[in-house]
Amino acid sequence: MALVTVGIADLKVSKDPEDTLVTYSLGACIGLAVYDPVVKVGGLLHYMLPDSSINKEKAATHPAMFANKGIPLLFKQCYSLGADKQRLIIKVAGASQIMDNAGAFNIGKRNYAILRKMFWKNNIRIAGEDIGGNVNRTMYMEIRDGKINLKVSKKGMIEL
Amino acid sequence: MSLMEEIIAAVDDMPPFPQVVQRAMQALADPEYEVVGLVDILKVDQAITASILKLCNSAYFGLPRKVSSLREAVVYLGANQLRQLLLSGAASKIFEKPNAGYTVFADELWRHALATAVMAQVLRQSRRLNINENTLFTAALLHDVGKVVLSNFVADKYRDIEKMVEGGESSFQEAEKKVLGFDHADIGGKIAEKWEFPQSIITAIAFHHEPARAAKEFRVLTELVALSNNLAVMVGYGTGVDGLACRGHGLLLKKLKITDQGMEELVMLFQLEMAKTCEVAGVDED
Repeated sequence: MALVTVGIADLKVSKDPEDTLVTYSLGACIGLAVYDPVVKVGGLLHYMLPDSSINKEKAATHPAMFANKGIPLLFKQCYSLGADKQRLIIKVAGASQIMDNAGAFNIGKRNYAILRKMFWKNNIRIAGEDIGGNVNRTMYMEIRDGKINLKVSKKGMIEL
Repeated sequence: MSLMEEIIAAVDDMPPFPQVVQRAMQALADPEYEVVGLVDILKVDQAITASILKLCNSAYFGLPRKVSSLREAVVYLGANQLRQLLLSGAASKIFEKPNAGYTVFADELWRHALATAVMAQVLRQSRRLNINENTLFTAALLHDVGKVVLSNFVADKYRDIEKMVEGGESSFQEAEKKVLGFDHADIGGKIAEKWEFPQSIITAIAFHHEPARAAKEFRVLTELVALSNNLAVMVGYGTGVDGLACRGHGLLLKKLKITDQGMEELVMLFQLEMAKTCEVAGVDED
């Protein structure tokens, strides 16, 4: 079994049934997992920020840092391994926040809002999610069967 | 002995902060520092000399020929790289101690320390803040050093702290204070005192969760450390122990006129810088 780490602002796709994709330290960031159960192709994205318009240059060199660039890229890379849009199972985790009544540290919320908006526009359904709270999350994807496990601080392991 | 007394005894047993690093920091604080003087300070420590040469000759810099003199390496690396290397080298040894009580994911505390220091640097540069870089980097890097000592004592109380945090009402630091009567910031301040750090750094460490309590002359520094800690936690760096159960200081964003978009830019700059720092410090980014 190979454990393939998806770094922060990074994405990986695989069709090797031995692979487990993993991404650590999801705070306000979002982990987006997509999986096609027929061809057994999966991909995992760990993005940090909603919109790359803050810096066009970095958007080109670090697309996985931003939702608006990373999400389309994740789908495209899965398609190139044979995945089909209609069959994709989508799971989402992250968008936590620190304790802040005024909601000033709201990157997590905005990270999630843009994802919902993009999915709504493209008619994509989310099959499972674990979002928000003051927790941090580690997300695992088994390429063999698409199973998503989350390690959540204060809660332990849960299957999504 | 009361728990507090036991912990103070443990603080007394902590190894000193390396003198060579402290002296080099003082020399580097002068923007017109003398290379010869700095080399004289550094050369007495073989391990530090070796690590400077190793960094200078690493693939990261890709120099066309091998550098073998300390003097040349010091000139080549420059103040910023040297400061990062020396401080993170010294601090990593302190944070490497296993943290039984806090059941931390391996080296999570250390990654958080580094992330907070990098965030502080990025904040300082991007907002053009007039504050001493050495002092800020050191305070940010060591702000959670109290957790290193505390972790050895909270094993049996840890469940109580955790439960209180799960309730959602208390931050991790508030829960520490309620359960133990003091928190990791208090202990961190004591450690910094023992190391004979300047009062500015002691204050910033001791009040990084309550910057309004810092003496006025050290308030700005303390606020920057508090905000850098907030942002590093928000992004997810080193939150294995307490998750994101950390009280946000939103007013500090306002004070520095950081808008939503400004915060996104900060996070982006931070991530690019963090990737570089991890490479230099030989730390796994994830």
